[in-house]
Amino acid sequence: MTECPCGSGSAFEQCCGPFLEGAPAPTPEALMRSRFTAFVRGDLDHIENTHASDVKDGFNRSAAESTANSVEWVSLEILNTAEGGTNDDAGTVEFAARFRQNGELMVHHERSNFRREEGRWAYVDGKMNPKGEPRRVEKVGRNEPCPCGSGKKYKKCCAA
Amino acid sequence: MERSFSCPTCGKCCYGQLPLAIDDTLAHADRFPLVVMWTPVRQGGRSFDITAELGITIKLRKRKLAAVQISPCAYLPPTLPCPELTADGLCGIHATKPLRCRTMPFSAYRDEADQADLLIPRSEWMCDTSPDAPVVYRDKSILDRQNYDAERAQLVRDAAILKPYGEWLLDSVPSLRMEIQKVAMKPSGGQVIVSFSTLIPRLAKVDIYAFARNQLPIMTAYAKKTANDPTLTDFHKRYADMAGEWGKIGGN
Repeated sequence: MTECPCGSGSAFEQCCGPFLEGAPAPTPEALMRSRFTAFVRGDLDHIENTHASDVKDGFNRSAAESTANSVEWVSLEILNTAEGGTNDDAGTVEFAARFRQNGELMVHHERSNFRREEGRWAYVDGKMNPKGEPRRVEKVGRNEPCPCGSGKKYKKCCAA
Repeated sequence: MERSFSCPTCGKCCYGQLPLAIDDTLAHADRFPLVVMWTPVRQGGRSFDITAELGITIKLRKRKLAAVQISPCAYLPPTLPCPELTADGLCGIHATKPLRCRTMPFSAYRDEADQADLLIPRSEWMCDTSPDAPVVYRDKSILDRQNYDAERAQLVRDAAILKPYGEWLLDSVPSLRMEIQKVAMKPSGGQVIVSFSTLIPRLAKVDIYAFARNQLPIMTAYAKKTANDPTLTDFHKRYADMAGEWGKIGGN
């Protein structure tokens, strides 16, 4: 068995293989994984064919190929997904693709946008090194119930 | 107010760095050593607005902004002439020369009303600005505006590529953002030089291998030309690095 380069642990034939052959990917994550696998295998056709219609013309295949050939892919980690369900027409996948270039370990961290076009998921664009949601600190009033769940007022409990 | 100007073809303005429209870089990729030059202009600085319009903005400390001009550029030290400047001071590629050269002494990187100081010859330039020369600029208007308009229209078209490229590269390379912020805070200003290879993925029709084959011999030649001049060490190192990079890409 050839393990799939996307790191799913499944065999290539049972994982990204069919999508590289042209089968429609069921989710944005599956498409994203197959595009990573395509980069690893140098299958630029798959990369080009899975672009959304409005970005296809802007794709520089020779540059993508040159980059793919100059790096050694190490691993793919899916960090987050949003929407992209059976009833959605859009979805995002945040991932970290690790690779070695000129001997240096690097990471390509992107949040990609996908769109459903004629029933098939397609890559639209991405935000590099996206920032997480800003942390929110909520202030607890002294007379409100304590957030620890004791039932006492905050001022009589953890604030004391 | 009227300003006169006539060019005696002294060739003195054909030295050093030359910003280029994208099409001009592609047309002359076998001629000029190409880079992408990032030049921050601080808020309140001259041409902040037009620079922000044609380029991008970047946040600085204390809620200040800098506009960043992103220019594909022929990268030459101020002491070296354009490779096409002939011995008699004329342009060797006059019929196909870049828009930037055609618009001289005006510049489409500036607003039309902000051209007056460009008509003051720099030291050693032999521009004729005497009353005998024809009037070229009147009441902040360029009289023969064909080249200026053509260059400006090209810069606007290029901005549609350079703006998203700029945002993408700043996100991709956090150290670049810091470097530009640092340069923007310097009172004397400055520029950050980025390899032209970062722009190629944005130019869909350009074959990166052919481009690399064009650039490699030029970078190699300029590395050699600058090797023994201690004032050009930075240029030499940059040419050598870029020769290495294009060599690697072209060898694939």
